[in-house]
This record gives sequence, C-alpha cells and structure tokens, in this order.
Amino acid sequence: MRIGVFICHCGSNIAGTVDCAKVAAIARSWPDVVYAVDPMYTCAEPGQAAIEAAIHEHKLDGVVVASCSPRMHEPTFRRTVERAGLNRYMFEMANIREHVSWIGKDMEANTNKAAELVRLAVEKLRHDVPLTAKQFDVTKRVLVIGGGVAGIQAALDCAEGGVPVVLVEREATIGGKMAKLDKTFPTVDCSACILGPKMVDVAQHPNITLYACAEVEEVSGYVGNFTVKIRKRATYVDWNKCTGCGACTEKCPSKKTPDAFNEATGTTTAITIAFPQAIPKKAVINPQYCRQLTKGKCGVCAKICPTGAIMYDMQDEIVTEEVGSIVAATGYDLMDWTVYKEYGGGTYPDVITSLQYERLMSASGPTGGHIVRPSDGREPKNIVFVQCVGSRDKSVGRPYCSGFCCMYTAKQAILTKDHIPDSQSYVFYMDIRAPGKMYDEFTRRAMEEYGTEYIRGRVSHIYPDGNGRLTVMGVDTLLGRQVEIKADLVVLAVGIEASRGAPQLAEKLRISYDNHGFFMESHVKLKPVETNTAGVFLAGVCQGAKDIPASVAQGSAAAAKVLGLFAKDKLESDPQIAQVDIQRCVACGKCLRCCPFGAIKGTEFRGEPKVQVIETVCQGCGLCTSTCPQGAIQLQHSTDNQILAEVNALCQC
Amino acid sequence: MNVAYYPGCSAKGSSKDYEISTQAVCRALNITLEEIPGWNCCGSTPAHAVDTELSAALCARNLDIAASQGAKLLLTPCPSCLSNLRAASQRMEKPEFRQRVNELLDTPAAETFPEVLSVMQGIAMQLDKENLALRVKKTLKGLRLAAYYGCLMSRPADRMRFEDPENPQLMEDLLTACGAEMVDFPLKTACCGAAFGIPERAMTARNSGRILELAARLDVDAVITACPLCQMNLDLRQTQAGRALNTRFHMPVVYFTQMLGLALGLPRKQLGLNKLAVSADKLLGKLDDPRLADAEGGQQS
Amino acid sequence: MSVLEGKELRIVGFLCNWCSYGGADTAGVARATQPTDLRIIRVPCSGRVDPLFVVRALLNGADGVLVSGCHPRDCHYSSGNFYARRRLEILKQFLPVLGIDDRRFEYTWVSAAEGQRWQHVVTTFTERLHNLGPAPQLEDAAPLLKVADMVLTALRPLGTGQNTALDELKAAIVKKLPELECVIGWQQGRDAAHHVPLFIRTPDDVNKLTWGPFNVNNPAVYLPTFKGKKVGIVVKGCDARSVVELLQEHLINREDVTIFSLPCEGTLDMARVDQTLGRYTNLDKVEYDEAGVTITADGTAHRFCMADFAQGKCYGCSTPSAVLADERFGTPVQVTPGEITPPELALLDAMSLEERLSFWHGQMERCLRCYACRNACPLCVCRDYCVSDSRDPHWMTQEDTPREKLFFQAIHALHLAGRCTGCGECQRACPVGIPILALRQQIARAVGQLFHGYAAGMNPEEVPPLLGYEVVEENIQERDWK
Repeated sequence: MRIGVFICHCGSNIAGTVDCAKVAAIARSWPDVVYAVDPMYTCAEPGQAAIEAAIHEHKLDGVVVASCSPRMHEPTFRRTVERAGLNRYMFEMANIREHVSWIGKDMEANTNKAAELVRLAVEKLRHDVPLTAKQFDVTKRVLVIGGGVAGIQAALDCAEGGVPVVLVEREATIGGKMAKLDKTFPTVDCSACILGPKMVDVAQHPNITLYACAEVEEVSGYVGNFTVKIRKRATYVDWNKCTGCGACTEKCPSKKTPDAFNEATGTTTAITIAFPQAIPKKAVINPQYCRQLTKGKCGVCAKICPTGAIMYDMQDEIVTEEVGSIVAATGYDLMDWTVYKEYGGGTYPDVITSLQYERLMSASGPTGGHIVRPSDGREPKNIVFVQCVGSRDKSVGRPYCSGFCCMYTAKQAILTKDHIPDSQSYVFYMDIRAPGKMYDEFTRRAMEEYGTEYIRGRVSHIYPDGNGRLTVMGVDTLLGRQVEIKADLVVLAVGIEASRGAPQLAEKLRISYDNHGFFMESHVKLKPVETNTAGVFLAGVCQGAKDIPASVAQGSAAAAKVLGLFAKDKLESDPQIAQVDIQRCVACGKCLRCCPFGAIKGTEFRGEPKVQVIETVCQGCGLCTSTCPQGAIQLQHSTDNQILAEVNALCQC
Repeated sequence: MNVAYYPGCSAKGSSKDYEISTQAVCRALNITLEEIPGWNCCGSTPAHAVDTELSAALCARNLDIAASQGAKLLLTPCPSCLSNLRAASQRMEKPEFRQRVNELLDTPAAETFPEVLSVMQGIAMQLDKENLALRVKKTLKGLRLAAYYGCLMSRPADRMRFEDPENPQLMEDLLTACGAEMVDFPLKTACCGAAFGIPERAMTARNSGRILELAARLDVDAVITACPLCQMNLDLRQTQAGRALNTRFHMPVVYFTQMLGLALGLPRKQLGLNKLAVSADKLLGKLDDPRLADAEGGQQS
Repeated sequence: MSVLEGKELRIVGFLCNWCSYGGADTAGVARATQPTDLRIIRVPCSGRVDPLFVVRALLNGADGVLVSGCHPRDCHYSSGNFYARRRLEILKQFLPVLGIDDRRFEYTWVSAAEGQRWQHVVTTFTERLHNLGPAPQLEDAAPLLKVADMVLTALRPLGTGQNTALDELKAAIVKKLPELECVIGWQQGRDAAHHVPLFIRTPDDVNKLTWGPFNVNNPAVYLPTFKGKKVGIVVKGCDARSVVELLQEHLINREDVTIFSLPCEGTLDMARVDQTLGRYTNLDKVEYDEAGVTITADGTAHRFCMADFAQGKCYGCSTPSAVLADERFGTPVQVTPGEITPPELALLDAMSLEERLSFWHGQMERCLRCYACRNACPLCVCRDYCVSDSRDPHWMTQEDTPREKLFFQAIHALHLAGRCTGCGECQRACPVGIPILALRQQIARAVGQLFHGYAAGMNPEEVPPLLGYEVVEENIQERDWK
C-alpha cells in the first residue's frame, strides 16, 4: 500500500503547539507511508489540490490528513480523494487540533501525541478497503402521524408538491389543540377561522388519504420503503354512509358523556361530532357511554339515522400502507396538574386549566362563549392566572419551559377584559418569555392597555374561602411581600408534556426520545427536523415546546425534507454497515436479538441457517460486531481488525 | 404497647391540657407511656437553626436514654419536638456527623435509636379506624370539626411521613372514626404565625385570623389541633386576630387528644378542658344533647 | 511508539462518534486544558466497543482504558449504550480476577455539548492513573505456582448415586429408542474407574449405560452436531442447564431432543483421583458405598470419599436434578438453599491483585495452548470459526506467550458471559489442571448480582442479560466523577 500523510498546520492553530514538520518526518518512517508533508491549510483549495496532485504523482492508494476533527472535514477530504480517483473510504483523519493542539501547550508532549494519533490513522487505513454505496428504489408516498396544525401543514405541503399523503389522526377530527383555541396571539384572530380552511383543504385534497380515529400500530422497513400498519378504531358508524347531518346527536339519550373536545367543561352525547367544523365531519360513538353498547338496549341513533350508517358490531380494522418517508407530528398533552395539592389537586371546580378556559371563551364551546364559573354559572370578576404550573418545576419532574404559556396567558387576560369589561385579571409569573415577533409588545398591551396586574412570583396556596370565592396566596418577589387575592376563577397555565403514547410510537419508529417523551432531533442546531432514523422527520411540539408559527414552520420544513428525499428516484445507502461472513455465521441469533434497528434477518445458505444484514436498514452502530463471538459479522470501516490495529498501534509493550 | 415518651417542654407548662389528655387517652388505649427519665430540651430553640450539631446533641441525649431503656419506639405529642428528634436521628446515620455529635456528648450515643413518631401516629399505629370506632363510648356525632395540623406536623414530607404533606388525613381518620363530621379544611397546614407572636404581632394576628375566619365560615364547632404552639396561639390570641380582621371570634381550639378522650368516655376532668381560653362549653353541651347526637351528623342548632 | 517516558502513562480512550467524540471536540474548541496522556480511538457507538478491545489494550500494556458514549436514552442508535453499559459493567467486575485493578478501566457518558464534563472526566481519570502508577505487567509478575488447597464444603451430602433408578431409565430408553437416532450417555472407558461418552444406537447398547461419580463428561456438548435429528440425552443436573442454554440460543430444537434425567449425587474430580492413584498396571476392582468409592489398583486400595474428591462445581450445585427433562427417574436430591463461593473462585478471591497476576503468569506458562478447554465447552458454538485461530478477525497472535494464552481465556470467559452454566468442562478437560473455571465463575457471579439473580441455563425462554437491557438499571449506578 502507498500512503500519503498530510499534517496540517491550520495556520498557527496546530503549528503553534505541535511541531508539524517533525510529525511528518516521523510518519515517513512507518511502513507503507511513502509521502508525508505538512501544509499550512489542508482544507483550503490549494491544500486540497496538493492532495490530489500527490495522489497522482506518488500513486497513493490511501491518504491520512491530520488536522481538525473528522466531524468537521471528513466529508470534505473524502470528496477530495474521490476527485483524484481514490475510493472515498481509503481516507483516514487524525484529530490533532481539538484533541491535541487546543487542549495543551506542551510542545514535546503534543508533538509526540500528534504523531501517535497519525500512526493510529495510518494503521487503520492499512486495513481499509474500498466501499461502494448501493442504490435502491423509493416509494414516493409519505405518512404523516398527527393531524394538528403541524401535521396538517406538512401534509398539505407534501400533497401540493405532488406526493401522496397518508394522514393518521388519533382523535375523531383533525385540528389538534389549535382547533380548541378561541383566539390566537399576538393578532387575536379567530383560531377556527384560520385553521378551518386548512382542515377543509386536507379533506378535499386528492393527494391526501385521511384516517381519523386511527393509530399507527406497527412500522417496518427503512427509508424509501416503510410498511406501516394502521389500526382504525371502531367508530360504530359507517363513515361511508354518514353524512354528518347530526340527527343522531340530537336524539341520543345518553347526554352525560364527558365532552373531550371541550376539555370536559361540558357534556355531550354518546354519539357525537366533535365540533361543527370537524374534519372529517362524521359521527362517532363513545362505547363507554353508549347505552346500546353498554346495556344492550337503546338503538335510538340507528333508528334515527337517515342513511343507516350505525354499526354497533363494528370492529377495529388494520390497514397497511406503503410509504417512503414518515413525518411524526404527534403534538402534546397537558401534564397531570392534579399533583399540585396546594392548588386543590382538581377538587375545586373553579380552578381550571387554560385549555378549559379557551373552551369557555369559544363561541363553539359549552357556554356559547360566555365566561362563567363552572361551580355556579356566575360571571367571574376577579380572575387569577397562574403560570408555570408544571413548567420549570423540578419538584414535579418538569424542568423545561413549556414555551407558549406566557403568550396565551396574556391573550387570555386581554380576552377576559373584552368579554367582561369590569373584570380584573391577575397573572402570577416567573419570567415573561415573549421572544417572538410582536410578542413582547403583546404582553405589554395586556399590562398597559388592559390593566392586567402582573405579579412576579409563585402561588403557594389556593383554597375556597368559605364564601364561594377562592383565596389565592402567593408572593410578589419584586416587592418582596406576600400577596393574597380573592378570586372568582383561577386559570392554571398547565405545562405540556409529550403526547400520550409518544415513547411507544418512538420505539415503533426507532427514533430516540428524551426523558420527557419528546422526540429527539438528529442535531439540536443543525438537524432540527431530521431524526436518527433516515426518512423519519419531526414537526411541531412532539419534538419540543413551540407555538403555532414555529409548528407550522417545522411542518413545512419536514415537508421540504420529504420532497427533497423524493426528488431522487434512487437512494444510496451508506456502505459503512455490517456485513456477514456467511462461512463463519452459525446462526446463533445473538446479533438478531440486539440489533436496535431490526436490520438483521434469518436466511439460508446451502441448507444451513444463517443471518443476513438488510443493507438499507442497518445504521452502522456495530453492536452486532461486538456481540458476535466468532466475529462473523463485521461493521465495514470499523472492523475488529481495524480497531485492533489501532489498539495494537497504541499498546504493544 | 410500651413506648418511651418525650413530653417536650410545653407539656409541663403551656400545654398541660395536651399532656394530661394524651396520657389519659393513651392509658385508655393500652399504650403505656414511659417518660424518658431526666429528659432535656429537644433543641427546638434557636439551637437548630444556629448549630445543627448542638441541636442534634440535645436530641441525641434524649434518644440515647430512651435507647438505653430498651425502647424501640418513642412518642412525642409536639410536632416541633418530633421534627427535631427525627432530624437528629436521620443526620446521625452519617458517620462523620455522628462522630462530631458524639464529641459534644459525655458518652457516645447508642448506635441505634428508637423510632420516633408523633402521638397521633402512635395511636393510629396501635389501632386502626375500625378498632377505634369499637372503643368509642360517647360518639362525637353531631359535631362539625376542622382538623388543623399546623405548618410543622406534615413537613418536610420525608422526615415527618404524613403521606401527602399538603393534605394529611390522619386526624380526620381518627375523629371520623369517633363519629365527628370533619370538614375539608384547606388551611389545615397553613402557618398560624405562632413563631412570630412576639416580634411580628400584626402578622401573627393576620395568619391566625385567616385560619379562624375560614373555620368560622365553614361553621365548625371547633378547630382541632395537634401542636402546643398552634393551640396556644389560636386559643389565646383570638381577640387580637379578630381585631386585625374587624371581627370577633369565639372558636374553641381543642387538642385532638381531648376530643378522643371525650369520645372514649373519659372523665372530662382528666382531659384538661377547663384550661381552654375559649370555652368549649357549647361544644360539650351539644355532645350532651341527646337530640343532636341522634340527628344525622352535621346539622347545626 | 511510546509514551513520553516518565511523564505520561499509556491511556486508551474509546469514544462514540456522536456524543463523546463531539464532547471532546467541544472541550477542544473551548480550549479546555487536559492532560496529554489519553489517545482516542473513534468508534461509531459505545455498543461497538467489544470488552475484549479493553482487555487487549490492558494486556498489551495500557495503563488505563476509558470508554465514553452517549448518555442513556440519548444514544444515536437508540440503545447501543444500554447494551454497552451491561457489558462494560461485567468487564469491570471481571478484570480484578485476572489481577488487573478495575480502577484502570472506566466507562462513562459525555454528550457532545459537555465539553467541560469531558475535561473533568479526562483530568480525573488521568490523575487517578498517575496515582496508581504504571500498570504491572503479566510478564513482570513472578510466576506463582504453589497455592493453598481449595476449601471444600458442600450444600448437600454428596454420594455415589448407586441406588438410583438406573434400570427404569434403561427400560425407558429401550422404549423410546426406535424414534431416536441415538441416545447419548456414559459407559465404562479404559477401566471401571474411568467412564466415557456412550452413543446408544441399538437396544443392546443400553446395557452399557453406567451411572455414578465417574460420569464426568457433559453429553450436551454433542447435541449441536445432531441438530435436525431426533436424539435422546441422559443428563446430570449440570448437563441439563447446558441443554437449556443451547435451546435458548436456538442451537438445538426442543422437539428434536428427548431428555432423560436422574438426580446427580456428585461427580469425581478425576484429575485428583488419577493423581492419587498414580501409575498402575491393573485395576483390580471398584467398590461403591454411599459416601464414596474404593479403587483397588495393583493390589492397593484407595478410598475416595465424595466429600473430599468431588469436582469443585459439585459443592455449590443447586440443581442436582435437571431443570428441564422429558423423563425423570429416581428420587430428587434435596438441596439446602444457600450460596457458596465455588472453591476455584474462593481461591482467587483470597489473593491480592498482585498475587493473581503472578498466579496467572505461572499458570499460563504451563498452558499448552491445546484448546481442550474450548473443545470441551458445550457453549463454544463457534466450532471451526473460533476467533483464536482466525486472521479475519485477527484477535490473537500465534505467539506462545502467557499474555496471548491469558487473552484467550479472557475471550472464552467474556464470550460466555451470561451464558456459562458453570459445568466446568473447560477445567476438567485441561490436561495440566489450570483452574480456569474461576474466570467464568467470577462473571457468573457478577451477572447474578447485577441482573436480579440471573443464572444461565435455567429457563429456555429467558433473554440472556447481555442481549438485553433496562433503561434504568437497578444495580448499575453511574459512578460520579466528582
């Protein structure tokens, strides 16, 4: 083998504390190293040109560059050697900047260490073999999981881009949390009015297949070729026949069914259409409350339905869809705030969540848009908003900020004043977080124009004062004194958590999630939409707290990623994946058992059971290689022999 | 059940009624209290805030005597004493801390101390609700009561072990078993301000007033306490508290042991009810009224 | 290459590409000064770090090895670090039995953002190693050959099992034989005091079947070679666990195997028996009694009491009756529940780290590198593809040095981690009598302690601990770096 070594000065970044020329000189003494130099800037255009020239001139078949971190420039130099006709995997890098020159000033020790790291790279290179990527077909369809505003945006953008979309929504209607909101900040425009048209677009778009009341059951396959099993829950109504006329909901005798869409601020019927603008506008029976399904007698809806759509014996149905990419947009749920016993733990009817308050304010809500106290139906005059209930609170395991509560609390305070002009609102806050466009101005309006009293501090105790009102005790940390407010209604800005079932979905999708169930993006800053599983993208709050504009933006971003992926007819797989030596394999199945990606499957070779790697699924972690006792499965480019060569280069007493 | 008993300093002075009713009730329930011979202050003075080792040494001496008598369990009526004794036991589990405390003592403390519980927890441990109900001779039916634990009894949660520190239920369980109607009293663990009774009288009056006011609104016959300081504060300072809130209170503030004693049919003289500043005569009268006792609980005359 | 003499120690780091390597980069970007000793090898995932890389480095003269990956739950590959955590923890508990100070090996989690934490980890670990000084080398340790006798106490009375239901067993085998290719058992070998495996193919063969303390071989070792054929096997309690383990790894099919079992009362340590007998020309007779055997050779009677001459594994055996069997005979042996440290391991436990290194140096100098240990092991499923004689992968050189030979023992022990049932065939087969079982026993002990008392070969349905993980490991605590 003929190896060329380039020890980069990186200006004075490396040369300042490493004797690069000496390292190059040492390198020349090693086996197979035929050329070693120490250029000033290897990554610059002349530096790369010099590498190409050296490859030609010295007939190099492998190159080592010692410079910065391979996480920075490995792709750059791989392209360089490829331009000169080498295979891009016949290249290794030694990190002598971040790991050497920048962390110590001892020239002698640094030079010695740099030389050893270069030796390491040379030894690894000596065991490198050319690798070639394989190509495979792409199914140009996308699955969007979650029909909130982020999912709707992603679905519409993909559909507009010509990609067929399968949209799966767990609830009976799409729209998510945004559909429940009365108004949106900072413009105070009607939430349903801006979301409604988008929902209708989803229903009407020829490229979108919508499954409501459905959940993802199982995902298999890999980027470009996923197979998804979707469970369509029994709705007990044949949606092909249901016209959404609503006659059934008027006659249903089971009128005390908790109204999930209205956040249990009101009741509804056992057969129901979530709200007037629901998409799909189809009736659904709640089997827990339906008299026919629980007691076996009633059947009123079946009698009344003009199209005969009621099916009491309906069963869940599994449908299978083939897609090439998946967008997860599963949103959030409110945390269970009843852990706050000092706020009554859910026992006081006039202590409600902000989302319940939205429903009280909404014209489509249970009170027709009149703000009244749940306990006695009277109009509240003193309203206390408590922020950060379950946000930034380690004591309940919620250390993170829920992001948008400061803003909607300001909005709710403003709307309260609009609804009840003689009311007074108080807001207990920890910090006002209003960094968006026109956001800070908005909160100032709540304070200055609407006379909302903002009190910086936490609420320690809320209790009924025996006179039908609530006493709210808290602290004003700016004035350094205790505060006690008599409130008619207390609204808690309850913190968010990942949507129910998010970790289970993440495991089906084979993506990571954090301690709180939020999905992990591939890189916090530079890959906020991608996940570690190729072809799976994120949109909206499922990835972390964000408000509507940010969710919409990420929905579009995810769609852009999908369209970008589908712009190619064939995809290339990374050749740095595991490979089975079919002779050595004894089919003991240990690798199969622990592969995090299900990328290994059983096969047969000359009548003997063996395993094989599904090249497109393997992500290249190498867990199988360290599991296989006979070394029969080797991660390409990080084989046992390569790592052993590195170990032996370092330790050979 | 034989247990060591640490009365605490209040028991011998301001809360003598708590002490004698505790003794009487425990006797009636076959809990033999053996007062620690030569016990000293628990350190619930400024000591515990100024010097944890000194404070622990004070407790350690008491615990050591109890341990040397072979006690496995120690009861104390006072939440403040309970807090200090438990804190000292917990801290002494650390060898370095134990060593420093031992240096302050004449002889090193015993390796293991008896478990420390409040009298309330001790009674609940001795017999459950059903068994207590069987012992009731004079039902408290017809009485509407507010359980007031005070700020110390249930906090800090891991030290005091009263389950939910914001909403303890033990006193309610005991008195419900005796037939009383217990209201949901949201201020049950609020501070009455007793600790600032001298330097910050206005604040104390406000805090006590808030508790008394809510109790009055909820129309209870008495506020039931488990803390010598709370009882003294709420009982003695009703006039000041009333003045701060522009009102007048007449709310009996009774120890839970006194109520238990009544229910167990103990002679009223043994319960120290005559020591209350705000007379409990009306409440006692209700208990004696056969019509009320028969009526469905909770109705007011 | 060498470290700077007297100034640096040889420290090898294995860092995952996504988190810890990035964390080290972050530390560099922040110009966070660190000791210069550490040399970093970049791997895709901490799950890629075969514990044997660490052993290789340490035996090759590294003074310390550090593995760092993504924090639990943050793994770029979802769960690689969860597997790594289990395997590396086992490794950490294994090193001391080789005579290597476990403080020389550490594993931790550093994210790409935690430059400061990385600096702290490197500084602390390097400092620790400088306090420990250069690692003692196997070759430098004075060979230690003479060791104390093993202490032998049994969980149950050991016996010779001569009153067992052998005739019933034989009848059952005859009955079943027509459906089977063969039934594996034991028969008399060169004389009545030495038994060897028996392959029963005809009803006549059944008469050759023997039972007793000379049935030392583990017949399970032959099962995988019969895969796909119907076979019967007669097992002792320990043999049955090997069968279960083979089933768990799908190396044999349950429906193909008929298991016949008799309760075992113990087997003899033939190495010590032969040593006592010495050379003889004629074996006159073998007489059994309840507690032992009397062998008369060349006219001299030698009495072997089971309590003194059983195999080490028999003393702590808790499964004298098969954990899995199709046909059981005889009265089950009662075992007093309890745990005793196997005698071989107790021997090592009693030594200091230095003594262990000397011990292994001495023992490995005696090792012939014959691989009898490997060939006798029922769970050495690699067979012809053992990494010890392969060039790809090339884990070992063919040099005849104590280091390479001990490394082979480490390979065998770690490949058996969570799988070894302690049948002891490796040690029994060793022609020079090296107590190598101790290495496997140490790992089995660590596995049991870490994973809720897991013991290999008890349940064919269980997932072996090193092929699984829990997100929160109850018994593996993150060591703090303060």
